[in-house]
Amino acid sequence: PPRLLNTLDASEMLESLLALGGLVLLRDSVEWEGRGLLKALIKKSALCGEQVHVLGCEVSEEEFREGFGADVNNRLVYHDIFRDPLNWSKTGKAFPGGPLGILRAMCRRTGPGPVTVALDSLSWLLLRLPCITLCQTLHALSQPNIYPGDNSQVEQVRVLGLLHEELHGPGPMGALRSLAHTEVTLSGKMGQASASILYRRPQQHATLQTWWFSILPDFSLDLHKESPLQSQPHLDPQTTQVDPTAHLTFNLHLSKKEREARDSLTLPFQFSSEKQQALLYPVPGQKSHIFYEPDAYDVDQEDPDDDLDI
Amino acid sequence: MAAAATCGTGFGSSGSVAAVAGRSGITSFQRRGKAGGTDGGPRLLSIAGTRPSLRNGQLLVSTGLPALDQLLGGGLAVGTVLLIEEDKFNIYSPLLFKYFLAEGVVNGHTLLIASAKENPANILQELPAPLLDYNCKKELGEDVHNPRTPESDDNMKIAWRYQLLPKMEVGPVSSSRFGHYYDTSKKIPQKLLDISKCHEFFLPEKVSSTLAVESCPLSHGYTKLLQFVQNIIYTEGFDGSNPQKKQKNILRIGIQNLGSPLWGDDICCTEDCDSSHRLTRFLYILRGLLRTSLSACIITMPTHLIQNKAITTRVRNLSDIVVGLESFIGSERETNPLFKDFHGLIHIRQIPRLNNLTCDESDVKDLAFKLKRKLFTIERLHLPPDLSDTVSRSSKQDLAESAKLLGPGCGMMAGGEKHLDF
Repeated sequence: PPRLLNTLDASEMLESLLALGGLVLLRDSVEWEGRGLLKALIKKSALCGEQVHVLGCEVSEEEFREGFGADVNNRLVYHDIFRDPLNWSKTGKAFPGGPLGILRAMCRRTGPGPVTVALDSLSWLLLRLPCITLCQTLHALSQPNIYPGDNSQVEQVRVLGLLHEELHGPGPMGALRSLAHTEVTLSGKMGQASASILYRRPQQHATLQTWWFSILPDFSLDLHKESPLQSQPHLDPQTTQVDPTAHLTFNLHLSKKEREARDSLTLPFQFSSEKQQALLYPVPGQKSHIFYEPDAYDVDQEDPDDDLDI
Repeated sequence: MAAAATCGTGFGSSGSVAAVAGRSGITSFQRRGKAGGTDGGPRLLSIAGTRPSLRNGQLLVSTGLPALDQLLGGGLAVGTVLLIEEDKFNIYSPLLFKYFLAEGVVNGHTLLIASAKENPANILQELPAPLLDYNCKKELGEDVHNPRTPESDDNMKIAWRYQLLPKMEVGPVSSSRFGHYYDTSKKIPQKLLDISKCHEFFLPEKVSSTLAVESCPLSHGYTKLLQFVQNIIYTEGFDGSNPQKKQKNILRIGIQNLGSPLWGDDICCTEDCDSSHRLTRFLYILRGLLRTSLSACIITMPTHLIQNKAITTRVRNLSDIVVGLESFIGSERETNPLFKDFHGLIHIRQIPRLNNLTCDESDVKDLAFKLKRKLFTIERLHLPPDLSDTVSRSSKQDLAESAKLLGPGCGMMAGGEKHLDF
């Protein structure tokens, strides 16, 4: 039976997405859009006191910041590409190198401390940059730098990338998926959104989890039980395992007395343990021994040579 | 290579036989010069961790997984390339990669690790610890709890002669010097790493990234890696150029995730890439380097991502041994009762014919692997016993249908469309 989910588990789900670090892919589609989940994750990391860098390419800054409280908005470092992607206005605010330059600049971070980078969206970047360059930059971005300080702490880095599945072929999708540590696929049924999360911890087993959720207007998460119209259970009700040891014509279960009697039975070709050892572990170099154990009933008083006609 | 050495001894011995058959005293038959060693025995390269193949005398090294060695006909031949086709989520192929390198560390071979994703120093730290003779049985005893464990001597009263027969599963052989077992839950001890020699090639450090977007460094990485490998082979004398004063040694090369976008290759991104020949050219040159030196190479490649199947075929042809891993995670096979004991299938796609007309193909084609808590085992795929007889016909049909995918070596318990009832 599905367990009752409350708000504590909602933060558990967001935590699990952020905890692994590395690249987190949010694969959405036209029907089930993922920007809400992206903003929920940004809100969660901002409220934990982390620095959040946002690369905004698809929506304007005002629209993106809408719905966030002031505490979250103050933590966001927003790099706006949407307003002037090709740098036509030539103002001082333009970034050298375009979006790629911004990404590379983000790789050179100053101090330790957990960092979250949100890319809205990866699809926009993938359509304008060569796939290889993007993969290499993403990989460099999501590698944690080790700061040789007194603790030599390893910083926590996560890169949240929003990817619109329908825009890309299997090649670039496969390449990005192989780089990701966590992959969230958004889908749903009957108006209820679900997220299938694949956790790929390096060197460990991959696990798949599905959550049904909805995003509230203030970008916090609300988890639901599984929808009642889930698929029928696969097992037929009549596949009970049959016990093959029942209804046999011979007895498979021995009582204790019968077991003892069986153990104490002498077998016809039983050898003494000495002979057994000699046969099992032959000692090289010794001449062969002859073991003779006369049978108990084989005591014959007659001389066997009496039969001979000598 | 090593095969030529064994031929030399043949001439030597026949020469000596002819000398004896002739007149005693002065004879024109002279034994060929003492071939290496005062005992006049055969002059085989006696390098630690290698052995000649039983079939054709080819010098072999262990892949680090004795079960895989058996399937490949004894081991990996020196001078060849082992290509591992990665599984979909790249969970099990790094294990095989690490086993290969750990085997090199244990045998004292020189290592060369090349990667674009992970720092080779980290890879080196995460190698599994070898299981040594005295504690291996104890370590693995906790792991094996299936009812087929051998009973102690007292219990085998009737079949006591079978106590010493080897079991079907390959267990650790205590006195093997070729091929060791590794404990994946422990890291290799630091003192073993300190005495080993390792050359590292981490692509992001070797290729400085340019800021211009247009000139993406397509496969400069391959050229640099080839130069690096050639340099190491030449300076350390693996190809016999600088006569080594010390003992000859083997160079074990490990290249991870070759062909992925991180190496600067776009065969995984697009289907009709114009630079598809760079990877194949790299493999061709690499194999030429290996054939003329005492080295062996393992390459892991995400072939499931390569969009153009022609490239995959060419890559397989350019490698010597090709092993493919297919894990069940995320596929419908995960819940299939046929495969519940295993974690994935292993396909031996190609075995080379080196100095030989035939290759050492094993007759078992259906192999599955399982990652136990500490060991990676490869077993013959066997069907679970079909115990229930009140199961409806349709589900039995499913089992029979899936059993058709398996080869004949698997047992025909559920084969055939019609299930015969007696």
